Amino acid sequence: MRYFDARVIENRSLGGGYFVLRLGGCEPLAGSRPGQFIMLRGDWGRDPLLPRPLSLLSVAHEGRADLLAKVVGKGTALMERSPPGSRVSVLGPLGNSFPAPSADVTDLLVAGGVGLPPLFMQAESAAHLGLANGSEMLYGGRTSRDLVLLGEIRGFGIALRLATEDGSLGRRGRVTDELEARLDRGRAAASAQPLRIMACGPRQMLWAVGRIAQSHGIDCYLSLEEQMACGIGVCLGCAVAAQTRPYRYVCKDGPVFPASEVMAHVSVASTSQSRGGAQ
Amino acid sequence: MILGADSLEKESPALLTTCGGIEFRNPVLTASGTFGYGQEFDALISLRGLGGLVTKGISPEPRFGNPPPRICETAAGMLNSIGLENVGVEAFAREKLPFLRSCGTRVLVNFFGTTFDEYVDCGARLAALDGVDGLEMNVSCPNIQAGGIEFGRDPLVLGGLVKACRAVVRKPLWVKLTPNTSDIVALARACADNGADAVSIINTITGMAIDVRTRRPKIATVFGGLSGPAIKPVALRMVYQVYRAQIPIAICGIGGIQDGNDAIEFLLAGASCVQVGTQSFIDPASAERIIREIEEYCRAQGVTDVRELVGGLALGQ
Ligand SMILES: Cc1cc2nc3c(=O)[nH]c(=O)nc-3n(C[C@H](O)[C@H](O)[C@H](O)COP(=O)(O)OP(=O)(O)OC[C@H]3O[C@@H](n4cnc5c(N)ncnc54)[C@H](O)[C@@H]3O)c2cc1C
Ligand code: FES
Repeated sequence: MRYFDARVIENRSLGGGYFVLRLGGCEPLAGSRPGQFIMLRGDWGRDPLLPRPLSLLSVAHEGRADLLAKVVGKGTALMERSPPGSRVSVLGPLGNSFPAPSADVTDLLVAGGVGLPPLFMQAESAAHLGLANGSEMLYGGRTSRDLVLLGEIRGFGIALRLATEDGSLGRRGRVTDELEARLDRGRAAASAQPLRIMACGPRQMLWAVGRIAQSHGIDCYLSLEEQMACGIGVCLGCAVAAQTRPYRYVCKDGPVFPASEVMAHVSVASTSQSRGGAQ
Repeated sequence: MILGADSLEKESPALLTTCGGIEFRNPVLTASGTFGYGQEFDALISLRGLGGLVTKGISPEPRFGNPPPRICETAAGMLNSIGLENVGVEAFAREKLPFLRSCGTRVLVNFFGTTFDEYVDCGARLAALDGVDGLEMNVSCPNIQAGGIEFGRDPLVLGGLVKACRAVVRKPLWVKLTPNTSDIVALARACADNGADAVSIINTITGMAIDVRTRRPKIATVFGGLSGPAIKPVALRMVYQVYRAQIPIAICGIGGIQDGNDAIEFLLAGASCVQVGTQSFIDPASAERIIREIEEYCRAQGVTDVRELVGGLALGQ
């Protein structure tokens, strides 16, 4: 983990409030794993005050790092408008990661809206390891505008299934409907390969994914969000209720948790905000 | 760094200072609750360069804190309601202190209890530990024996508490005052009269925020402590009120310090040293930068010893 200055080298709008920020000068992020995040702040004066947590979308050679964000408030609006050359401060890489792709399991990567980045990076890493065959992505949003970077995801060579609530792209419905359909098909085919689920998206979607995984007896990992001030386990602001201890911290114990660790406290935790975008 | 002829000629100002019975390399400390137990920042800044650090508040037994959401951002500040979560005295001594002992800076341990006896017990145990340079009492906790009113709001209660702790703490004893009072001077006097070595002014200001979309409070406990640049004018006013009252006690200024000039304002108002709090979340290396900026200010103003600045507010014509 390092604290350093980086520069926006490209800011690509994807429509619907989504944009990809490409940063240069991120050598300290080399070796980051899918699920890890950074705390990012621009030259904003005092408003907003705190840095904003953003997941890594992709980390490439020569200090390049990509982020995918959606405008939901002041901080993300300022990021969306930051031109190439803008200076940003970065603290990272932070947090833990999803389990690495493995030849012995099939991973179902379930992404809701702007919850895509860690699963995108997981898919990229599976492709690099030559394990694209063992990963499938299920990606849902409210409308087709909430499904972004589809060409890049297909480029990884993994199977991709889409769902939109308005039916404008892929299955009409939620990504969790798509997940249930996939598991039913799997059962019919009685595939030998065990399954693993990894998910990131709005809280309600995550709890639904967790419940589905539980009912099918499948290992499941959820990437959570909470309000954060420090990102390094100091402010104790990002607490989530947990099984093994009263609270766990999204920034240092997570953001990725086994679903069984955080699921029993759904009623408490669901009062908190969740990532923008639809399921 | 290339030194210009100018900076070669002028000597570095002396930053060494004393506050509440402790000598500090420079007047910049990091505030309780914003700097963990020090180790979390080891990779981010040079701890040796700090004047000192104040740990997270320690209670006799571990505490788990409040339900989420615990924090939210407000205009130029943030609200928190962490619930005094900490590892407890024993785990602190076992797991956190060894690092602090070797980190090369002054270590003050913030502590609290929920009863008189807990305060005294906690203070005595912490003061006995090697590697603890001094204690800072957090008196903004509810007194469960007195209907949950904060210990630190009533000068009489506060005075009694300070006296009881003073009797068992043979190291420098500071008291972090709550701003949620109509008479900060009376609180500071109660501390001085009962043998405290310094007052830290101020703790967070009670506030709240509402999410209009859901109509719910933005933090689960409804009320929380406001910190950040939003509170600096209030903090500065309270430091100056206590300084002006000529109470024989040293002052450590806290509240919304973001840069060297903010720190200098507190020194001019009468603080002997300052603590950087919320700014460590915004810029984890800020304490280091603030020390540099104080040095630059002194050079530019021809100040050779930072202690000259304390209480140097110019009034009148
Ligand atoms: C570990 C982690 C990783 C994250 N990764 C990403 C990422 O890769 N891409 C991304 O776009 N976002 C991500 N987020 C969420 C992102 O941090 C927030 O969207 C951002 O902090 C909002 O800042 P803002 O200033 O724009 O909004 P604020 O001004 O803070 O909030 C504006 C309004 O939006 C609401 N709000 C704030 N955050 C969210 C949210 N997440 N969803 C819905 N409403 C919200 C607030 O309650 C408020 O009403 C991540 C969060 C965490 C904790
Ligand atoms: S964000 Fe500060 S402890 Fe997690």
